[in-house]
Amino acid sequence: MQAETSVEDFRSTSLAGTTSGVANGGVKLENSPTIEETHAIPDASEGKPTAELETEVESEQDANQQQTGQQLPQQTGIKVLHHRVSGYVGFANLPKQWHRKSIRRGFSLNLLCVGQKGLGKSTLINTLFNKPLYDLSAAATADLAALKLGNAGDRMAGADIDPSQQPREELGTQQQQQQEAGQARDPTKVEVKIETHTTTIEENGVALTLNVIDAPGFGDGINNADAWVPIVREIDHRFDQYLDAENRVDRNSIEDNRVHACLYFIEPTNHSLKALDLEFCKAVHQKCNLIPVIAKSDILTDEEIEEFKATIRGQLENEGIELFEPPQYVLDDKETAARSLQLHSQMPYAIVGSTTQVSTADGRQVRGRAYPWGVIEVDNAAHSDFVHLRDLLIKVYLMELRRKTENVLYERYRSEKLGFLNIKQDNSVFKEYDPELKQKEEKQLHEAKLAKLEAEMKAVFQQKVNEKEKKLQKSEAELFNRHKEMKDKLTKQLKALEDKKHQLEMSLVNQSANSPAQTKKKGFLR
Amino acid sequence: MTSENIIVGVSNLPNQRFKIVSEQGGTFTLMVCGESGLGKTTFINTLFQTTLKHADPHQRRNQPIKRTVEIDVLRAILEEKNFSLRVNVIDTPGFGDNVNNNKSWQTIVDFIDEQHDSYMRQEQQPHRDVKFDLRVHAVLYFIRPTGHGLKPLDIETMKRISTRANLIPVIAKSDTLTAKELQEFKLRIRQVVEAQDIRIFTPPLDESESPDPAVMEHARQLIESMPFAVVGSETKFDNGQGTLVPARKYPWGIVEVENDNHCDFRKLRSLLLRTNLLDLILSTEELHYEAYRKLRLEGSGATDDQSVPVRAPARKLSHNPQFKEEENALKKYFTDQVKAEEQRFRQWEQNIVNERIRLNGDLEDVQTKVKKLEEQVRSLQLKRH
Repeated sequence: MQAETSVEDFRSTSLAGTTSGVANGGVKLENSPTIEETHAIPDASEGKPTAELETEVESEQDANQQQTGQQLPQQTGIKVLHHRVSGYVGFANLPKQWHRKSIRRGFSLNLLCVGQKGLGKSTLINTLFNKPLYDLSAAATADLAALKLGNAGDRMAGADIDPSQQPREELGTQQQQQQEAGQARDPTKVEVKIETHTTTIEENGVALTLNVIDAPGFGDGINNADAWVPIVREIDHRFDQYLDAENRVDRNSIEDNRVHACLYFIEPTNHSLKALDLEFCKAVHQKCNLIPVIAKSDILTDEEIEEFKATIRGQLENEGIELFEPPQYVLDDKETAARSLQLHSQMPYAIVGSTTQVSTADGRQVRGRAYPWGVIEVDNAAHSDFVHLRDLLIKVYLMELRRKTENVLYERYRSEKLGFLNIKQDNSVFKEYDPELKQKEEKQLHEAKLAKLEAEMKAVFQQKVNEKEKKLQKSEAELFNRHKEMKDKLTKQLKALEDKKHQLEMSLVNQSANSPAQTKKKGFLR
Repeated sequence: MTSENIIVGVSNLPNQRFKIVSEQGGTFTLMVCGESGLGKTTFINTLFQTTLKHADPHQRRNQPIKRTVEIDVLRAILEEKNFSLRVNVIDTPGFGDNVNNNKSWQTIVDFIDEQHDSYMRQEQQPHRDVKFDLRVHAVLYFIRPTGHGLKPLDIETMKRISTRANLIPVIAKSDTLTAKELQEFKLRIRQVVEAQDIRIFTPPLDESESPDPAVMEHARQLIESMPFAVVGSETKFDNGQGTLVPARKYPWGIVEVENDNHCDFRKLRSLLLRTNLLDLILSTEELHYEAYRKLRLEGSGATDDQSVPVRAPARKLSHNPQFKEEENALKKYFTDQVKAEEQRFRQWEQNIVNERIRLNGDLEDVQTKVKKLEEQVRSLQLKRH
């Protein structure tokens, strides 16, 4: 809740920043480091693409800022020189180096496939990757076997039988399944499981590791309430796994199991999306790249397909469901840009899958389906949207699916999760390195440290001095006191003695007045 | 049933990568390190064929040398064939220019560590869409062409850099050495580097998966030429065949920068940009950065099982010698203060002792009087009887 409000707050401030940036001529963005053109670009017309690129980068940054609670400092005095090199330098080879490196490192794709039984999911995957990832005949037999067991009334054992048929990938998944099994007592519900199939596809020396994540059981029950829950949990679980790995001290063997794309199979009803379809799409569209497809579209005519597509698009739009959108590149030519737009506008793709080779009327061998009235060619863009799907999912935008998963979907999940764990954002760490600022900061830190040290030493010093002074004053006072005491005592003694002496003298005088005084008197008398 | 001629599209994946990188551009942070006057600035300008930095800032050369090593960051966006590269050049003016250069590598080492630290902290934030990354991808260490060998400062500095970043030693202004001298100098440097266990960046050779013999051969040649002997020049001269080439002109001939017989400039450029730029970037991110991060997090006592980002303790202040001096001065001031006070207290104590003696004397006087009186009293008493 908190994170949400702060996002909102930031959105408004960031927008304000943008408008003022535009007022300044649109070159400088308030929140981004100031870019100063210190080196004139030789030719004005040549300089144009650079300028465009620049604004592109900035607006992208701006969009990112709006989505998140990241705030960037206002830094001035960071100069960036712009220059177009004339001769041969060689760094333009970096994309080529990446090309070479990417072949060496290989590629991977984690594809989630969701749809009711019988919509041709396995066939489509086999067709897409041109590989028998699924044993189609075995699946049918297994279904039949499961059905028979179900008829035998052994419903409770359903969860126990399945693991032996299909190997499971992860412990976590198994636990989830057991939980599901506990809830699956309702006879109208069918347990949704998660299964993963892995294979490697190689084409001209480029290898792709493909993980297909299946959710058998989805939509197969009479009551399909919450059927999407195990799937959402699986997507989250895979994000969590990655988050854990990323936070680990040792990250040498980090594995990316995140769901890069989700193919959702829509039944070719020619009516509209069912409630379950919409619920599922709503539940996952913020977590993975959603690509809806109309399964087995060969039962619909072209007009029906267009109508059906329009209905679906309208429904998705009403619910605010985002589909994966292929990006536009600045460097793209017109043709490529148009293709990207077309790929987007054709969604949801109406597809037909087939791994069977059939002969066309003109004698070609193609993958397709042969009907008495004609042959549907899978790889023919005029017959179905299969080619669009292949381009979007593999040939043209696979890396973009991965990038969006990594930079947008995963980041969103992570931000929310960390916010939920009460980890505070510290925006002070985001700044351009500035030696002067750095020096100032260090000086401040140093001075603070020095001041603290001084205060501490001063305090200790003062305390010690005070203690010592008190001690000396005390002994001084004691000395005087004792002296005074002694002196008083002695003076008293002296006084007493003087008195005594005086008394004695007086008494002696009196005595002499009697006897010795008589002598005196005698003397006098004499 | 599958057929072989069907296009899945997997072979196009490297092209997707190519396109994304072309679109995004790249970032390259290069650090140049070495005593002043070795032609670092000229080399950078020659490498990028751009006056990134106005060489010979006369005020710097003529000014008395400052006492501490500083960091100078130069940022540029260069464009070549529509590909734009963000170039950050880190200079350390004043490195090794003092009489006592003890610990003058500290600024360099601190800078490298600090960039890793900063990136780590940014990466740990819940929101991190924009990150400022100045992690050093390569350090060019300029060796003075003495013909003798490496100085202790060179060895100590290179040792410390090599554990943190991709170190590439180069022999500066190599046109002052004859071919024979250069070979011997290179050999000596290689021996020292090996004996001192200094790790130098080398292009990867163990790529069994890319059996391109030309690539392997090129990498081998680069390794054999290390440390690269370089000559830089921003001025162009006629190479004798009517072409203007960057060169240095002497009465006895011209030294062509891009002539493999004259120096290793082209090889170094290949290593830095043309063939191994990505290797430099990736090894920095995957090896050096990860090593730093691991060290810091382990040092903070973090365990390996955490669902929240581990936070390392705040970095300690950099080792600025001036700061240390100030701290020592403060400590000395207090030590002196304590000494002065101690002296005062000793004097005071002495005064008390003297006072006691005086008072005791005073008491004794009185005592004597008392005694005398007692005596008198006694004699009087005797008289009375």
